[in-house]
Amino acid sequence: MKKNMKKLLALAAAGVLAAGCIALAGCGSDNQSSSDQNSNSTATAGDLGLIADGTLKVAVSPDYPPFENLENGEYVGFEIELCEALAAEMGLQVEFVPMQFDAIVPAIAAGGQADIGASGFSVTPERAEQINFTSTFYVDDQAVAVMGDSPLASDTSALNSADVTIAVQSGTTGESYARENYPNATIQPYGNSTDAFAAMQAGQADAVCTNMAVVNKMISTAYNDAVVVATSATGEEYAMVVSQDNAALLAAVNDALATLQANGTIDQLLETWM
Amino acid sequence: MTHVNTPSNGRLLTTVASLIIVVLLAVALMPANAWGLTTAKCTARTNVDSQNVVQGDKETRINWEGQAASSEEVTGFTFTLPEGTRFGADDVKVTMLTGDDLMERTSINATGTADGQILTIAFDQPAQAGGYFRVEIYHVFFPREGGEMVITGTAQLSDGTSAPIADVPAISVQGVSLAQSMGNWLSEQEWVQAWNSNKFLKLFLNPVILVTSFPVVLKGFFLALLILACAFPLAIPLGLALALMRMSKISLLRGIASVYVNVVRGTPLFLQIYIAFFGLPLAGIDVNNVVMGIAVLAMNSSAYQCEIFRAGIQSIHTGQFEAARSLGMNGAQTMFFVIIPQTVRRVIPTMMNEFILLYKDTSMLAAVGLMEVVMYAKTIVAATGSITPYIVAAAFYLVITLPLASLVGKIEAKLAGAQMGSDKKRKGGKGLFGAKTDKNNNTSEGPASAAANVDPTANTAGGSQAVLSASSLAASQYNEALGALSASSKN
Repeated sequence: MKKNMKKLLALAAAGVLAAGCIALAGCGSDNQSSSDQNSNSTATAGDLGLIADGTLKVAVSPDYPPFENLENGEYVGFEIELCEALAAEMGLQVEFVPMQFDAIVPAIAAGGQADIGASGFSVTPERAEQINFTSTFYVDDQAVAVMGDSPLASDTSALNSADVTIAVQSGTTGESYARENYPNATIQPYGNSTDAFAAMQAGQADAVCTNMAVVNKMISTAYNDAVVVATSATGEEYAMVVSQDNAALLAAVNDALATLQANGTIDQLLETWM
Repeated sequence: MTHVNTPSNGRLLTTVASLIIVVLLAVALMPANAWGLTTAKCTARTNVDSQNVVQGDKETRINWEGQAASSEEVTGFTFTLPEGTRFGADDVKVTMLTGDDLMERTSINATGTADGQILTIAFDQPAQAGGYFRVEIYHVFFPREGGEMVITGTAQLSDGTSAPIADVPAISVQGVSLAQSMGNWLSEQEWVQAWNSNKFLKLFLNPVILVTSFPVVLKGFFLALLILACAFPLAIPLGLALALMRMSKISLLRGIASVYVNVVRGTPLFLQIYIAFFGLPLAGIDVNNVVMGIAVLAMNSSAYQCEIFRAGIQSIHTGQFEAARSLGMNGAQTMFFVIIPQTVRRVIPTMMNEFILLYKDTSMLAAVGLMEVVMYAKTIVAATGSITPYIVAAAFYLVITLPLASLVGKIEAKLAGAQMGSDKKRKGGKGLFGAKTDKNNNTSEGPASAAANVDPTANTAGGSQAVLSASSLAASQYNEALGALSASSKN
């Protein structure tokens, strides 16, 4: 018994040590980056607490056309170009950090991997508890798509039944919309919207529920034989996400977004991509 | 009401028809009610991770949508929420939806005031007559015991009268789960708040999320165990068959088996899962997700097990074959009654390592939406932004892998010990073999066996290790077999 206690204590001590080391390592790198920042801050605009000096690191989940996706290995999309314009406005280089969509908010909250996150984030009170939202730049709705030959194409009321599986992107507003409005259906989350559509085409799911712009883009490009069967004007506002610890960066991004809104850049980008 | 779900892609006829129905309905309802709003839907946002469930005592949002009659100019709403429900009056959002499929939004400036259970929403100016409204009430906490929540309401009209809101469906609310109430209790404790004030501890080891995510991830644990319990036993005969094929004298069988093993071992499991889940159904093979997951993992594991069995079988000294054949056994009998029983004992440690690897590999199925440990953890991470559920998930892996890893170590030590024992018995006998045995014992207890627990490449390392130690083991068994043979010839 005593021996066991000793073993337990030793284990606990080791755990605490390991946790402490990681925490210290985290603090160490933070300090370093902020001191770097201070030494060079005269060259760039203000102290934005960026991870790498002069570079805006943007976490994206490049599977969400027309907002962001990869074409021949290049990042393309509305938010990609918006971030490029944003960085240019702020006098910074832009670097995209690819991540799974549902990893972006935790990564921004934890810090160290990216300065801002941009991947079609709708403003929700839940997310706002973890991160700060920038000002919004797009408003979107929800849509449900099914394959054209599916019986659901003509009978949308059957969407809310136990034998229907709706594919969603994990952690999106599409997921919570589907759970709220089709509570009898099985909601199947996937890591990205490409997989959700692939699953529907493969018959693993009967429908896909996600933002309307994405559904329309997917149908017009890769999934021509799918159709939209239900829409809802949920009016979700899109914004980027910034760590709650970095008020300076939030203010700078909002300033730059306001400039881009005022000089018509955002409208022009919307026209190109939507 | 039908108009909520009508298609938008240019189906003008349907749309017009549904609009006519709406108007007819409104007209039809008017004489009965004189006036009044019909409810299109009344729902609450689900607030339990990866479930279509609304739970009590946890924040949610009520969404009511309804249609005013064509003559009614709404100036505000009054909703009575069920007894015991808390809500925030400040964040009430009212939207008027118009146009085809109600896809045009008009935001209405409205202020909410709460008086007990009554929420009064006043518009700053009367809305357009016959509008379709959406009211969102935020920061709602239903009573902790749950039940069917019935919301009643009236609409204030510009002529000073009020109209009832008809047909509001009840919202089903579940009672608070044990884990949730524990989490709620924890979040009020001072030490938890102090703990969570450290960002690192809050993100990685938040006690509240630790407790609330446990039962959710546990469900994934059961699925992972089910998949493991089906896939591993399935892989054993497959792997053995492949091993026998690879050692077959028929070159076609040998070719098939080695192509299979090399392709499966030479491609990532992740890719194999994607191909199986998204590719096979297109080829007309349509099976249940879980069954598909079991099949993919079993097929993957069988390739690795093939190499383990092959190494094990080849490690048996040829003397065993010769001895069995001289007893009059045919090839199959030799294999199944002499060689394989000896192989089984030798491959147990490597097979257990393969078992551990396979268990960890079940996590890959998260990519295709199988609700196992990692998938559940991911969904909670997505909802809460805390990494803590991943720590919970890690615990669910360690609870299996740690005891197994230590068991592997013990078995290895025991096997090595048995070998040492037989070496002692043969002291002064085969000096050459004895020396080799000692060397192999050292390697099997060294870093190689530790590495075998963590790395897929260790399969081959483990396999070759089995060959090495087995070849030395064979020496003693060769002697025993010879002894048995001579004993039987004496009888």
